[in-house]
Amino acid sequence: MNQSRRLPYLLLLPGIVLLLAVLYPFLSGVYWSFTDFDLTLGQNPAFNGLDNYVEAFRPSGEGLHSILITFAYAALAVTAQLLLGFGVALLLTREGAHIKVFRALIVLPLLMPPVVATMMWRVMMTPDGVLNYMLSWVYLPPFDWLGSTSTALFSVVLIDTWIYTPFVILILLAGMQSIPTEVHEAARVDGASYAREVWNLMVPLLRPFFVIVIVFRGIDSLKMFDIIYTATRGGPIDATMNLHVQSYFTGIRALDIGSSMTFLVVLWVLCYALAFLLLRARRGRLA
Amino acid sequence: MLGKGGTSASRTKRRNGVLANAALLAYTAFALFPLFWIFLMSLKVQRDVIATPPKFFFTPTLANYAEVLSRPDFLTPFKNSVIVTFGALFLSALIALPAAYALARMEFRGKEDLAFAFLSLRFAPELIILLPLFVIYQSFGLYDTYIGLILIYQLITFPLMVWMMRSFLEDVPKELEEAVQIDGGSWFTSFRMIITRIALPGLAASCVLSFIYAWNHFVFALVLASQRTQVITGGLLQFISFEQIQWGSMAAGVMLAIVPEFIIAVFALRYMIRGLTAGTVKG
Repeated sequence: MNQSRRLPYLLLLPGIVLLLAVLYPFLSGVYWSFTDFDLTLGQNPAFNGLDNYVEAFRPSGEGLHSILITFAYAALAVTAQLLLGFGVALLLTREGAHIKVFRALIVLPLLMPPVVATMMWRVMMTPDGVLNYMLSWVYLPPFDWLGSTSTALFSVVLIDTWIYTPFVILILLAGMQSIPTEVHEAARVDGASYAREVWNLMVPLLRPFFVIVIVFRGIDSLKMFDIIYTATRGGPIDATMNLHVQSYFTGIRALDIGSSMTFLVVLWVLCYALAFLLLRARRGRLA
Repeated sequence: MLGKGGTSASRTKRRNGVLANAALLAYTAFALFPLFWIFLMSLKVQRDVIATPPKFFFTPTLANYAEVLSRPDFLTPFKNSVIVTFGALFLSALIALPAAYALARMEFRGKEDLAFAFLSLRFAPELIILLPLFVIYQSFGLYDTYIGLILIYQLITFPLMVWMMRSFLEDVPKELEEAVQIDGGSWFTSFRMIITRIALPGLAASCVLSFIYAWNHFVFALVLASQRTQVITGGLLQFISFEQIQWGSMAAGVMLAIVPEFIIAVFALRYMIRGLTAGTVKG
């Protein structure tokens, strides 16, 4: 039996090797965040303690600004997608052949490259583009969607919502379909209105599924890169500059590795804090 | 109150059904309009593309497709995407299949922690690994090479494959191993039987979805590749970075880059949905 006890680890060995291989660049990077590593200076990185972190959180500095944008983007995107996704998922729980067609069609945005999806929206969001033209049909004034500091953040969130709401719909729909029909019947026998049934019955039962949506969409929007980079490159005037995009320009373009790694470590901590929330929820369900 | 159309309750029900369908139709229009619009644009000559107000009716042309398919700055990234994506899938399948099998069919200590560690690769901001690799790859000569890209693509394809394959392998009844053992077969007999027959459609779907995720990825090649091995997402982005924006050819390039994915996806949609939610809920 000794062999069979070692067997699972043997099968997992290549995967474990991969995990360890990722640790090397990761730990080097974390170390660099405590140094003044800068490729343009070409000197050996010297340890400078928490200097980069102090700079990153300096009031009215670009680091703190990026942290705020990161939170604003994630909060707006997750809220919008949760509300819209919950509504559409409710509508999709009904029976019928046409519902199957809807279910298949709405998944399409999720299957395309976010970069390409964003390029499509960029075309539609130009001042002379089709979105402003359609606004004129209902007598609304045109927007400078991605070009103005007051609308750019909302515009990139709109693109994010277009791409990822289907993910929320799929998860919540799976949750809704896992609720036994007897529960709904019991509610109707008690004479509960539809609104009550949704709020008092479905929402509590769907709690684990809401956790999943918030964790997965939360992490992905905290570390959003593709959409913002393609749509605005963080602009105009840093209006959409989140931590991930900021770290790209600081590290890859300006070659200031130390500061860039600091932004990334802060972002990593935010993402993993959310991931541990998921781990705890999972453990709770097993227990 | 009984009218011709039935009771008022049933009339309310029918009215709600109509409203629900209208709302669904509106959302579907929102989801499909950009695709429809870019498709139209890919069939327009430049004059129609830049017309104000935008044109819904025009004489369609395939010139944009012909042009894009003759441009090396489209064809090279397309070819690179094919090489990198299939290379990454092949390597991932080799690593993920045994791992997923162990996680699905065997009991051992630290199982859930390992599974979560694999999944957590997906939670890290890509650049926290990429930025150090950007420095490390240059000194190892891996920068702007296929091997370098295939290795880093494991970050996306491996966790997805493990979790999706695991969920399909768990579906196979436990009695199978017992039956094989009674017949005197080893674990490898069961392994072979499960992966080559019973779970094959699910495993194939895992590969298809990993293909889509790898194909769609952008930031790995943005940081670790230059002109020589740039992939399709980065290549297409170049199209709109030039001063003279050829919107028509860009739109045609976009359609050529996504149509293969949609064809695959529609055929395997049932499994796709399971995969899109892999690592989240049991489908």
